[in-house]
Amino acid sequence: MKQYDVIVIGGGPAGIAAAVSANDENSKVLLIEREARLGGILKQCIHDGFGLIRFGEQLSGPEYAERYIKELNKRDIDVLTLSFVTKISKTKENLFYVHIVNKKGVDTFLTKALVLAMGCRERTSKQISIHGTRPSGVFTAGTAQHYTNLLGELPTKECVILGSGDIGLIMARRLTLEGARVIGVFEAKNTPSGLTRNIHQCLYDYNIPLHLSYTVTRIFGEDRLTAVEIMKVDENLKPIKNTEQIIKCDALILSVGLIPENEVAESLGVQLDNRTNGPVCDGQYMTLIDGVFSCGNALHVNDLVDYVSENAEQAGKNAARYVNSDRCLININSSDDFLYTVPQKLDINQNNSNVIVYFRSRKNREKTKFVISVDGKEFFSKKYSFLRPPEMERVEVDFNSFNLTKSSNIEFNLVNF
Amino acid sequence: MNVLKTNKKLQKEFNGKVYAAIEDGCIILRGELSEWNDVVRACQIAATKYSKCHVVNDIKTSPPLFSVAKKYSFFDNSLDGRTPDVLIIGGGISGASIARELSKWDIDILLVEKEADLALHASGRNDGEVHPGIDLGKGSLKHKYIRKGNKLYSKICSELNVEFHRFGQYACFCNSWAKPLVWFYCLHRKYIDGIEDTKIISGQELRKVEKNLSPNIKFAIYNPSAGCVCPYSLTIAYAENAVMNGAEVSLNTSVLDMEVDNGQIYKVFTNRGVIYPKIVINSAGVFAEDVAKMAKDRFFSIHPRRGTNSILDKKAGKKMTAIASVKDLSIHGKSHSKGGGILHTVHDNLLIGPDAVETYEKENTATCRESIETVFSKQKMTMPSLSERDIITYFTGTRAATFEEDFIIEYGRKTKNLIHCAGIQSPGLTTAPAVALDIEKMAINLLSPIKEVKRNKEFNPIRKGIPSLRKMSPKERSEIIATNPDYGVIVCRCEEISKGEILDALHSPICVPTIDGIKKRVRPGMGRCQGGFCMPLVSKIIAEEMKIPLKDVKKSSEYANITFGCTK
Amino acid sequence: MKELVCIVCPRSCKMKIEFQHGEIVVSGNGCKRGKSFAINETTQPKRTLCSTVKTNYKEVPVLPVRVSGEIPKDKIFDVMKQISTVVVTEPISCGDIIIEDVLSLGVNVIATSSILKEIIKENG
Repeated sequence: MKQYDVIVIGGGPAGIAAAVSANDENSKVLLIEREARLGGILKQCIHDGFGLIRFGEQLSGPEYAERYIKELNKRDIDVLTLSFVTKISKTKENLFYVHIVNKKGVDTFLTKALVLAMGCRERTSKQISIHGTRPSGVFTAGTAQHYTNLLGELPTKECVILGSGDIGLIMARRLTLEGARVIGVFEAKNTPSGLTRNIHQCLYDYNIPLHLSYTVTRIFGEDRLTAVEIMKVDENLKPIKNTEQIIKCDALILSVGLIPENEVAESLGVQLDNRTNGPVCDGQYMTLIDGVFSCGNALHVNDLVDYVSENAEQAGKNAARYVNSDRCLININSSDDFLYTVPQKLDINQNNSNVIVYFRSRKNREKTKFVISVDGKEFFSKKYSFLRPPEMERVEVDFNSFNLTKSSNIEFNLVNF
Repeated sequence: MNVLKTNKKLQKEFNGKVYAAIEDGCIILRGELSEWNDVVRACQIAATKYSKCHVVNDIKTSPPLFSVAKKYSFFDNSLDGRTPDVLIIGGGISGASIARELSKWDIDILLVEKEADLALHASGRNDGEVHPGIDLGKGSLKHKYIRKGNKLYSKICSELNVEFHRFGQYACFCNSWAKPLVWFYCLHRKYIDGIEDTKIISGQELRKVEKNLSPNIKFAIYNPSAGCVCPYSLTIAYAENAVMNGAEVSLNTSVLDMEVDNGQIYKVFTNRGVIYPKIVINSAGVFAEDVAKMAKDRFFSIHPRRGTNSILDKKAGKKMTAIASVKDLSIHGKSHSKGGGILHTVHDNLLIGPDAVETYEKENTATCRESIETVFSKQKMTMPSLSERDIITYFTGTRAATFEEDFIIEYGRKTKNLIHCAGIQSPGLTTAPAVALDIEKMAINLLSPIKEVKRNKEFNPIRKGIPSLRKMSPKERSEIIATNPDYGVIVCRCEEISKGEILDALHSPICVPTIDGIKKRVRPGMGRCQGGFCMPLVSKIIAEEMKIPLKDVKKSSEYANITFGCTK
Repeated sequence: MKELVCIVCPRSCKMKIEFQHGEIVVSGNGCKRGKSFAINETTQPKRTLCSTVKTNYKEVPVLPVRVSGEIPKDKIFDVMKQISTVVVTEPISCGDIIIEDVLSLGVNVIATSSILKEIIKENG
């Protein structure tokens, strides 16, 4: 049986970056990817806007991915594509068996550390309680993107998009460019879910209307979709009676949220955070199962791939340096003003001198201070002229300077200034 | 049946708008009402449970409420002039199982199904429970077949290579005071009605096995013989085995009319030509009444009853490994809505439901929010930790109920070369294997005077299904991948389905090369992402294997296109 | 005065453009790029464009492309038309020119993936 120091699961931007950084720490690395090619979802994200932070350039998804793949190929890293992880189990010696299946059959590898970089999946129509018939023509934005950008097939001629997540906005523009008509983007919340610049460059540039506080409640059509019913929603996102409106179209495209993929993690007993839907982790992005690291969109849904790469590099590096030792975990308590914060814990036995903290504000805010206090005393703060839920924030923090002990009470807060 | 008494009741309730008359041994209801629920109510007043004297509903509604079978615009002559010995109308569990049992004989069998695949209505849209029959007393056909059907499942599923588990059923009660009553009920069922596996267990015993069931449950009726099966897999398996043994299955084939003379069906008109069958079996589900009418043998009416089920993520599947539901004594016996139950499926999901809602629309399988809410609020009494957040999909089916709430398994009353297998509703899936054996005998009896009927010497009861790689041991899996590397290429990540399995489905005896056809046979798209990742991949495999352009790959029917062609 | 949102980076700064004594004054921008974006928007708005082109490789029916520099906003659909006429027949790599100086706009349409080359290499 082949043994590795680090096995990375998932060959998207997170997995590649983690494998590269783990290898740079002189460890023996195996990267396992389900699909035939590395790059993950970036392969179908043909729009630009990737890499501005990382490379100072506006790259398309495939370009960004290929830059990283080049780095990967320069190194002595084992890569298995078209290989699917069926099971992971832990040994008594705190090692992990990774069971895979591919064209050659079933195989098992042993590793000291694991990096989970499986990305995320899209929420479906059934998960947001859309009812009616089951015709063809209901797509998640990512599926519509796959048909359009990888298979070169047009999935709609006239559609309604539900949800203003970034992929939905990107697809609104993309389908318009390919000659489809996007009747409108409907969003149940009263603020858009995607980045403001995408609202402008993908919708307004193409005269696609955005309707806030509306949702799709019903689908019509026996064979192909023929129409959808939309309704106005109240502040609790519940449809308001007698606001039904029928819109004729041939497709409903959904961009209603992403869910980190953690089924493999859960099978190992990794605890998830119900705010991120990703694993609870410490400043090294190690989950509560020793030796299991998480990064990228599997850890929490990022807004930019640049942050995914950065976070994965850290996770990969830490996985390579991992030695099984006692952890002393303390909680980071973040207030309800946050949608979430990552990491959720700190291991004070580790070097926490440059921990990268990610957070999203629950609401649109102006002039806000992000404050870290320990036992009620403010240790760190950073000012923001505005914070919006769609835009993730990233801060580097030197927790070592706070003189943390196992009884320290760390709090994250957002306060106006 | 006292028709005077019935008319008195109808007069009282509907002010003379509806009246009953006995004609040809049936109770015909005529008149005019405006609400469908009133129509159902009137017919129910006139009907006697389990009676062979059926209510025929001729009540008009204003505005008219009726539903006709979906018509298909394409016509060809592929079946024109066919002269099968047996024509089976309807490719649900009844039609498919009958075809398979009849294929033991050296006769020409043709099964026609109007949809693009088998089991697209009630047979594919139910909870898949193999019932123990604890709710059935002597006197009905349901009861006649339930124990036999239940027992046959082990044999049938092993012959047809369909997954089946006897997970056991708990009918739970929260009121201690009801225990003596239920105890008496169980004794009666066990010793008089022959539901011999019935026992009562305490709430504590129950929670030792199923720890997530409600602490309020005081005791439960336990029937270990209850099980679950994937209902459309079984239907397809039955039909495939029939085809292997010489039967023909023709999909997308609608029966449009019949020519009947002298109590004999001579011609059956379909969208694929005129068929001249020796005998006809009516297993047309919600359309059984329409088929009976075409055959000039309408002596019953079907009132469709919708039921909605939800499927929960496999994560929730770990919460329980049986079939359970709390029985609400306040509504017991009054309603056909059993409020459903919770069932651990053969695929390790949880299934919640179904509810029961009367409807005039035979094919309306649209779901609605209210059904899910009703069932969940009821089933949270069974399992408090149940959460709507775990829902991955939901679906609605319509039961083909008669007003007598029993099956109709008999020869045509006026038309002689006809057998009805109608009014099949719950527990019709459970009874199907037993009913099929009886209908086989009936059909052979009908055929024997017309032609010499011999055994099919080549009959092979064993169907080898498509291998399920995810359930194999590593060694088995490696071995089969060595024979075909496509078995090692995972296409559907949620259900772990390989390209090889999908190709097998495309080469199966009843190939349905659509997204839904493949999904029903090997499950890509059945998992938590609901095909978000794998649908484009499956589309591509179908296009390549069938050598058709991508835009011609359909979701289900021929009009359910997925894409509109090349973007360029 | 005009208000607009900067689309240069995800910060999406809200900017104000004012005309004072014949000069354009931008405020609210977070960086220099925002300022030049704002000035461009008032004179000649430009956008980048990404799409795909048809190939005659079965495994890769379309190849992702983009324009090498920004093009006038009102030329987007004209460039799309040009892109639709191309069929890639060679295993080109990322950065290779597909349409040179498209519509004489001074920019090229370039491939943004080397997938064709990789596939040819793998399949020999």
